[in-house]
Amino acid sequence: MPYGMTRHAAPGAGLLLCRFRIQERGNDMIKVVYSTQHWIMPRIVMVVLAALLAAIIVTEGLARVKAGDSFLAKPGKFFRGDCDHVKLWGTLVLFAGYLWCLNVIGFTVTSIVFVFLFNVLYAGTEKKSLILSVALSVVSALIISVLFGVVFNITLPSGICTLPFPQLGFTLY
Amino acid sequence: MVAHLLIATLGVVAGIVFGAIPGMTATMAVAVFLPMTYAYDMDTALFLLLGLYVGGISGGLVPAILINIPGTPSSITTTFDGYPMSKRGEGERALKIGILASFIGGLISLLCLWLFTPLLSAAALKFSAVEKFLIILFALTVIAALSKGQMLRGIFAGFGGVLISLCGMFSVNNSYRMVPAFMKAKMQDGFQLLPVLIGLFAIAQIFEEAEEGMRFKIEKVDTSEGGKVTKFSLKDFKGQGVNLVRSSLIGTFMGVLPGVGGSAASILAYAQAKNFSKHPELLGTGSSEGLVASESSNNGLTGGALIPLLSLGIPGDSTTAVLISAFMLQGIQVGPLFITQNPHTWNIILIALLACNIIMFIVMFYPIKWISKIIYIPRQRLYPIIIMICVVGAYATKNGRMFDAWTLLAFGVIGYIFGKIKIPASCFLIGFILGKDLENYFIQAVSAASGSLAVFFTRPIGLFIWVLIIVSVAYAVWDDRKSKKKAA
Repeated sequence: MPYGMTRHAAPGAGLLLCRFRIQERGNDMIKVVYSTQHWIMPRIVMVVLAALLAAIIVTEGLARVKAGDSFLAKPGKFFRGDCDHVKLWGTLVLFAGYLWCLNVIGFTVTSIVFVFLFNVLYAGTEKKSLILSVALSVVSALIISVLFGVVFNITLPSGICTLPFPQLGFTLY
Repeated sequence: MVAHLLIATLGVVAGIVFGAIPGMTATMAVAVFLPMTYAYDMDTALFLLLGLYVGGISGGLVPAILINIPGTPSSITTTFDGYPMSKRGEGERALKIGILASFIGGLISLLCLWLFTPLLSAAALKFSAVEKFLIILFALTVIAALSKGQMLRGIFAGFGGVLISLCGMFSVNNSYRMVPAFMKAKMQDGFQLLPVLIGLFAIAQIFEEAEEGMRFKIEKVDTSEGGKVTKFSLKDFKGQGVNLVRSSLIGTFMGVLPGVGGSAASILAYAQAKNFSKHPELLGTGSSEGLVASESSNNGLTGGALIPLLSLGIPGDSTTAVLISAFMLQGIQVGPLFITQNPHTWNIILIALLACNIIMFIVMFYPIKWISKIIYIPRQRLYPIIIMICVVGAYATKNGRMFDAWTLLAFGVIGYIFGKIKIPASCFLIGFILGKDLENYFIQAVSAASGSLAVFFTRPIGLFIWVLIIVSVAYAVWDDRKSKKKAA
């Protein structure tokens, strides 16, 4: 079905191309209508994606048949055999928790807590490791906070633990 | 200028660290450091980014030589001769040969960049919307070559990236598409590039490593088999001139071809070095000839990959895809008009690339004994800090929006799933970057031709690009079949 484009003038100072009024002609493949032209490319891409998906299913299915297997692939294991579920799901949960807390608590304190938790998750809870985790989380979070928030003056998430220092002219997010 | 050189040194050192730690890449280095460029002007940002790029590509030789693990895919052939030399106790000599070869390869490719980019840009100036659309289509077909043995999935990922890039408001008629009503306020401009690319390339990798349990312990290798140990001297390069220039040019040429990638360049250069060698039997046993071929070709890639990037606006691989994003964030529109409209920036790129290569040489050549210890940095201690920096970068994309930080996490998960279902994330990213231009040029071309699609087949340059598209698809099909046969 041809993509519809009716004759409309673009309101205001729209691009010149929007003002083209494409007459419906026999040899026209695509009709550009001002009000619906935002769907032309997405629809074309969706059709291409559907065709590619079909091609992937058919070629890979035929390859499996050729190898003496069934056309449709048996659902394989998504996670690797020796998957470390604690670290994988722990990363996801900590990441989501980190993002959720940032705007509530503020960047520096949240980062110290969550960088420490990530370190514990990845490197374990031995006494030596814990000391290193604490040191790394405090030092790295403070450096990043000062470097980006104070030196580079980039906006960081702020919350209840954000400390403004108006007399010094900066904020520790 | 001193500040620029200091920033370039920071970039080179950080790039070397990322390149030298197995599993971390130059792409990740550029992605993670992008947020820092917000605070810099364009010139300073270029010194930092190109430093990261050169350092990231160069750092890969350290683990390749010392522990037989290529730090980057392009240093795979460095292991063939570098590691045997290391086992003979000649690790330092191998590293220095590799560093000098990298340096010369980088300089030769810089010369090619300086000579050929203006020529290609001048030709591309004649392009109308039709040719610009076809060039982007060409880029989307050649990215299939990025996904060896997975051609259809590569193209699928590319068009998937195009579709996702179209989410948001269409600027011509201010209408939304593919955005739920409650998200309209946040998604006026669609998904921001930075969180998408950091998510796909940095966060996804952290999920993958978390699934593997972060179990990476690099054993210190005994590199003393006894016997006579040869120290590095410039005599190692005697009779290597042709090999050096040939391999650098192969690297540069392969870099120009979008999607071919560094590993193909170094493998081809290594194969040619073997073909033309007087002692081919020595290659693979710790010969400086193989090392020179591998390292000069993979650094030759740096200038080569920038040629299509700067003249046509097409990223050739995942690292240059991240670089193009960095240029876009700095407000630099790369493409045919780039050099004529931004002569200052073009000169800065050349100067920065030269400076970064020299800095890379100085930083790596003399203190290589200490630099080589980078490979023992535990990644489980670096990843939490990388997560924090990525969140800062995503959050600051549009002056502080948590939506962009959540986008980062979402695309991290998507990138992880892509890895599981064998969808190449680099193809998706290139599609995402080029998607909006593809749409704009298509609408312009079709509108100007009163809706007729014949416009894409009438202009001579357009027909030439169609030939390129057909050749690239044919090559991709041939290469795909070859890779599948090899895998079988």
